[in-house]
Amino acid sequence: MTSSKHSCESSGTKEGGVPTGPRRTFFIWMIRVIPTVMGVSLVIPLLGYVGSPAFKRREEAWAAIGKAEDLVPNEPQELEFSRTVKDGWRTTIAKKAVWAVKQSNGAVTAFSPMCPHLGCGYRWDASARQFQCPCHGSVYDVTGKVLAGPAPRPLDELPIKIENGQLLVMYKDFKSGLDHAVEL
Amino acid sequence: MAVTKSLRRALHIHHPKATRKTMLSKIYHWLDRRLRLQPLTQTLLEEPIPGGASWMYVFGSATLFLFGLQALTGMFLALYYVPSPDAAYDTVQYIQHEVRFGWFVRGLHHWGASAVMVAVGLHLLQVYLYGAYKPPREPMWIVGVVLLLLMMGFGFTGYLLPWDQNAYWATQVGTNMVASVPLVGDLLVRLLRGGASIGALTLSRFFALHVLFLPALIIGGIVLHLFMLRRVGPAGPWSDAQARQRREPFYPRQVFMDAVVMFGGFLLLCLLATTIEFPLADRADPSDHTFTPIPEWYFLFFYQLLKYMGGPLEPLATWVLPSLFVLGLLLWPFLDGNPERRPASRPMALGAGALFLVAVFVLLGISLRNLHAMPKMEPFVARGQALFGQHHCAACHRIHGEGGKIGPDLSYVADRRPDRQWHVQHLQSPQSVSPGSVMPPFQLEEKDLNALTSYLLSLKSGESTAPGT
Repeated sequence: MTSSKHSCESSGTKEGGVPTGPRRTFFIWMIRVIPTVMGVSLVIPLLGYVGSPAFKRREEAWAAIGKAEDLVPNEPQELEFSRTVKDGWRTTIAKKAVWAVKQSNGAVTAFSPMCPHLGCGYRWDASARQFQCPCHGSVYDVTGKVLAGPAPRPLDELPIKIENGQLLVMYKDFKSGLDHAVEL
Repeated sequence: MAVTKSLRRALHIHHPKATRKTMLSKIYHWLDRRLRLQPLTQTLLEEPIPGGASWMYVFGSATLFLFGLQALTGMFLALYYVPSPDAAYDTVQYIQHEVRFGWFVRGLHHWGASAVMVAVGLHLLQVYLYGAYKPPREPMWIVGVVLLLLMMGFGFTGYLLPWDQNAYWATQVGTNMVASVPLVGDLLVRLLRGGASIGALTLSRFFALHVLFLPALIIGGIVLHLFMLRRVGPAGPWSDAQARQRREPFYPRQVFMDAVVMFGGFLLLCLLATTIEFPLADRADPSDHTFTPIPEWYFLFFYQLLKYMGGPLEPLATWVLPSLFVLGLLLWPFLDGNPERRPASRPMALGAGALFLVAVFVLLGISLRNLHAMPKMEPFVARGQALFGQHHCAACHRIHGEGGKIGPDLSYVADRRPDRQWHVQHLQSPQSVSPGSVMPPFQLEEKDLNALTSYLLSLKSGESTAPGT
């Protein structure tokens, strides 16, 4: 038994065909390497696959909200428009509204309709000449500056441009509660 | 002595280097002290194979691995797929084009389906050749046949899920065959379809089968199959002398061989998934009866057989022969009374097997030849198609699901614009016949204009729209 064991040891095969020595080590090594390689080459794409939509930045487009000449200076108007929302694999049309106001210096501002405090929809009080949020009492003037209440920053302004007399706005969502505007 | 020595040596696999305790072996020993894993790992890995390890025994493991890969990729596909007629097609397109590596996961799943069928076939062939279904392995064989049927069920139910023309109409044909069964045919079809015709209920039914019922059944079957294998032991070579020559434990050589084949299969699948595209056909249209569906290649031999058995012979092909075949397969260990395992001593069994294989491959060959000969384009129309490609028309125009969405879909343009002159004019000066069009003019030689027009005029409903053409 012992003598045959010694003589077979170096050849890599024991009595009965059981592999030993470097041959055996090779087999064991391959048995470890192969699943590892397969695992890694699957894990990387699969992680990308799972994370892909969660981290995609939503592409925004310009939406027409109305005619520039319809705006009266210092009189905010709530302008409604439809925007196509990409919801995963489907596209839906959502109705949105923004507050648009022609400032005294002639420039047109469009405000996000959500209060920067916690996201409620605020209203324009024509008699008090203020934007007022019903949820926690934030108050803003016509330029969006905070006059009172828990609002951490002024009203969020949306990119706006005028083309052929048409007002075009790019709708964005912002994080609430921060002291400066951060896009979602 | 040699046995215990080799066992003891083999057990050192849990200490890869005799003195070094790796993290893995530490974890193993911690679990072993609490769960008594040693007997388990011993049964799994120390299983002695009569006659030693062989490359011929890899097919069962390969099948298991490929099934596992299908389950994995399938699970991930289900993160985005929605089994509703309104959403199915769009969600598959979403996976294919918008989800990062979505095309890869879908590709693995698609090619994996074919691969698992090949593996199952090879496994079945090897077991048959080695007579490994003979006593005491009859129950294993029977469970194996059930597993084969479940696999085909996966193939059939999965095919409908993309809800494109091919999916819809292939399922229409497939379920119609079930209707040909006498007495219960109609009932069976209604159960299968969730109604009289294929629709929303069929899709959700097939999805539930594909993703919940069939996996549960097949996993149970696999566990049973492997349990039996461990109880009765692998059959080994057909010659007793060879079997007695040596007995080698499963680990490491057979495990190594299995791993190499799994890796090879995996690499092949990755290659196929990255190089060969298989776009969806057009969205399912229940009203378009001109579409000719084509089943997956592993059903093509049967598809071809059906073509030969028309009229009164049809039920023979749709359910009689298949049922007889399945019954024969299930009962084969009892039908084959010959106790011999050596192929040379089993002329009838081997003859029957060979005959079956020849028949299947001949039918498959004929079917493939017909499919590729099918829509033979006129050379002029083919030239037009080439021009369409050369001038990158697909950047703006879509044909059968391929191309951009800037211009109109041209899949059936000849239906609404059958006039040759209109096309010739339009290609040269789009704005003159289509005011407001943003299409640029194409200055082509007259011959090319006509070829391109001929191609456009060939795009009408009623023409065979086999995918890949």
